[in-house]
Amino acid sequence: MIRIIKPLILFLMFLALFESLQAQQQRFPKPEFKTEYQQPTPTAPEPRGLGMEFVDVGLLVLVMSLTAWFAIKKRSRNGILILTVFSAIYFGFHRNGCICSVGSIQNVVLAFADPTYTLSLYALLFFLLPLLFSLFFGRVFCGAACPLGAIQDLLIFKPITIAPWLRKALGVIPYLYLGLAVLYAATGTEFIICRYDPFIGIYRMNGPHLMIFLGIAFLLMGLFIARPYCRFLCPYGALLNITSRFSWKHLSVYPTRCIECKLCTTACPFEAIDFPDSENERPDPRKGSRRFILFFLLIPVMMLIGGWIGSKSHVFLSKANQTVYLAELLISHPELQNDPKNIDVQQFLASGKSLETLSKEAREIRDKFYTGSWILGAFLGLVIGFMAFNQLIYRRKNDYQANRGTCYSCARCLDYCPVE
Amino acid sequence: MKNKGIILFLTLLAAAIVVIILLDLRSNRTDLRPDNPYDIGLDQYSQVDSALIGYREVLNLSLNEKDKKGIAFGMNRLWVIGVNFIQAVSTEGAMLLKKELDKTPTSITIFKSDIYISFNDEIRRYAEDGSQLFSWPLQGDSILITGMAANDSILYTADAGKRRVLKFRTDGTLLATFDGKRETGDLHGFIIPSPYFDLAFTPDGELWVVNPGKHALENYTPEGRLRGYWNRTSAGIDGFSGCCGPAQIAVLPDGSFVTAEKGLVRIKVHQPNGDLSTVVAPPSKFPGGTHAPDLAVGDNGVIYALDFDQKIIRVFEKIKP
Amino acid sequence: MNRKNFLTNTGRWVLLGGLMYLTGSIFFKRKVSASGKYVWQIDPFKCTQCGRCATSCVRDLSAVKCVHAYSLCGYCDLCGGYFKPNTLSLNTGAENQLCPTGALKRKYIEEPFFEYTIDEELCNGCGKCVKGCTSFGNGSLHLQIRHNLCQNCNECSIARLCPSDAITRVPVETAYKIKGDFKPAIAKPQ
Repeated sequence: MIRIIKPLILFLMFLALFESLQAQQQRFPKPEFKTEYQQPTPTAPEPRGLGMEFVDVGLLVLVMSLTAWFAIKKRSRNGILILTVFSAIYFGFHRNGCICSVGSIQNVVLAFADPTYTLSLYALLFFLLPLLFSLFFGRVFCGAACPLGAIQDLLIFKPITIAPWLRKALGVIPYLYLGLAVLYAATGTEFIICRYDPFIGIYRMNGPHLMIFLGIAFLLMGLFIARPYCRFLCPYGALLNITSRFSWKHLSVYPTRCIECKLCTTACPFEAIDFPDSENERPDPRKGSRRFILFFLLIPVMMLIGGWIGSKSHVFLSKANQTVYLAELLISHPELQNDPKNIDVQQFLASGKSLETLSKEAREIRDKFYTGSWILGAFLGLVIGFMAFNQLIYRRKNDYQANRGTCYSCARCLDYCPVE
Repeated sequence: MKNKGIILFLTLLAAAIVVIILLDLRSNRTDLRPDNPYDIGLDQYSQVDSALIGYREVLNLSLNEKDKKGIAFGMNRLWVIGVNFIQAVSTEGAMLLKKELDKTPTSITIFKSDIYISFNDEIRRYAEDGSQLFSWPLQGDSILITGMAANDSILYTADAGKRRVLKFRTDGTLLATFDGKRETGDLHGFIIPSPYFDLAFTPDGELWVVNPGKHALENYTPEGRLRGYWNRTSAGIDGFSGCCGPAQIAVLPDGSFVTAEKGLVRIKVHQPNGDLSTVVAPPSKFPGGTHAPDLAVGDNGVIYALDFDQKIIRVFEKIKP
Repeated sequence: MNRKNFLTNTGRWVLLGGLMYLTGSIFFKRKVSASGKYVWQIDPFKCTQCGRCATSCVRDLSAVKCVHAYSLCGYCDLCGGYFKPNTLSLNTGAENQLCPTGALKRKYIEEPFFEYTIDEELCNGCGKCVKGCTSFGNGSLHLQIRHNLCQNCNECSIARLCPSDAITRVPVETAYKIKGDFKPAIAKPQ
């Protein structure tokens, strides 16, 4: 069977033979130059900032500590504003926003899933430290340290209010994004957080067209919706939301007592300040406890339903994986094997791997996706269940206070509160 | 929600974001990726007009040993050298003899019933039963013998490492070396960019040496003087492509040269004056290969090619018109 | 409210414990590199010169450049990486060259040897010269990621598209894999 395969594709066999010949070629003497020719050596320029990573970690800790101090102790917006600008300039423009804590989730997940992957301590610290600070001081990372948050925060122009039902509905998206990011990182498919990071193109001031358009779209949106990425997309924010609810100390709008002037709620562009409940809303305690039990039982059901939906979609989700997609493509379109222009197909054919091996690999990956999608679905079921649960149970609120989960500790409200 | 305009604007932006993400996802699909804009168009050279092809592949000898390094034809048998062995194989592929070698050979040539095998530091002569008859050392470092040709009592060896041809008497005495310089003032003679340097005798007793860097076949007198040469530089079928060509040669009984090239691998027959006679194996017969096959010519002009990439010996016979 | 405080405190310690356990298990059971810096590297032996290094890098002008392993070069007059396959004349005319940006420079040394050097500011990492050199020559030209330009993204967008998986993450001490010389070569920054 004569196949017209171009000599420009190298077999892997060639690699093995080349390597044995390579030794010979390296010993093969170069031409003897009779003139005074000095052969240059190839250069290997160093990467920037070797060792600067730990300066970054130190600065991260410093900025978060200062934010916590400004928000909780000193109660000053100005300090936080300065820190925000610093983060945008240093972590954003200077370090180009990479590696960031948001993306570090993927590195940590991959380290768990793949024993051969080496995680750098730097990435691990970037993942861990904001979460630790959030457990003690609230979302101080979001307030002034995160470069993505910083650029959105600085561009708030005329924030509009969003209806609570819409806010709550869109609030599921970060958990979905988190789940997908973990799933794709664990299966070694892709780092989707990095791929769809809107602001890194802006920070690098360079990038492919689609990336820049995405960045500009988000910034324009940020003029009118305050912190759109943080509120409705950030997967790390989903984690910080959870840990911040248990924080030891948190930004408090009023120092001693609330006089219900509502100046803080107008000041907060993120609608993160909770309203006290009116007298009519307080339900019968017995009804309340029955509701409580009902929803607690409903959560496992939601998880099961979610997991089931997840498992049904595992085939669709697995298509994002290159191996699975290629296997599907070659099985459903075998005529592509003769297409000389398709580089990936040609390279696969040249590698000598059989379609059976590829299909086996694809099937194994798909099985991983099956388990992963079950977990993803159950997780989402849990999240939605808890959100519904939160909505429907009654929690006594007497005054206006920053919502522990969603307040970014930006301290805008503190300047407005008239209480001394 | 006061300002309708802003709401509309934001909705459009959200839609734009979704569209951008979908477009990006779509462009990543393996079947929708763009072609290589930097393709150098080697395809046109691998297509050869079938009217030019005068040989067909009749047999493939796979042999068990994978690490073959060279072949030669003599005493009606095909002799194969490998990393640590020498084998004799019949023309149908039946193994007749196998002997272990203590060193790695680099090239082999046969004259009548004498087998000469070169190593990194010596040359040995073997009898047809595989027993070693004689050997002599090679003096100097960075010597790499990549081709040999013997005639009566003289053995010529092509040393790619030092870019010269060594002329030995078969008792081991070094008679002469020549480096292919055309004029006495020339800086360089044989241009050898990579370890491929071959030579052969034509049936009328003339020594022809490949000058790979110049894509030339040069005819030398026994004293090492250049008598004549021809060269063909071309990526097209009528010449030799790449940095070094041809990497391997053999001679047919009628005096034509069988040539094998590396990179754009093809085996051709050139007339003694250099013009293309016929194509034995076009590049399409070597998918993904980059090494020039080692050549040997059997009785009746059957061509044996040791394909290093596919690790088989391919046998080609002339197509009867 | 005591119950609320109690729940909050317990929750905090549970989460803290969970985080510490997570970190500890990664630290001790998986490979964590304290030296921190990992960079992307192209393995020139796996590279198939598909051209994506030039088109997929997040930078405008790719951080991938062609590098010349001079010790492997044959210094040929007819350089397979410099000239188009069937060039009519061996001179520096742009119509004869493979390089789309003219980054590969040809300099006469002595008959018949020529030296080929790469002007990195012009090179776009397309690999045409590499393809030519590997097919027709000694394979001394090859592509490498230049770390003074590379952004060191968490996920290299070229690596994602590389058909032969030639781009991998390696420790910075062995950042380059330059043919002909496998000692780690970290030169002074340019």
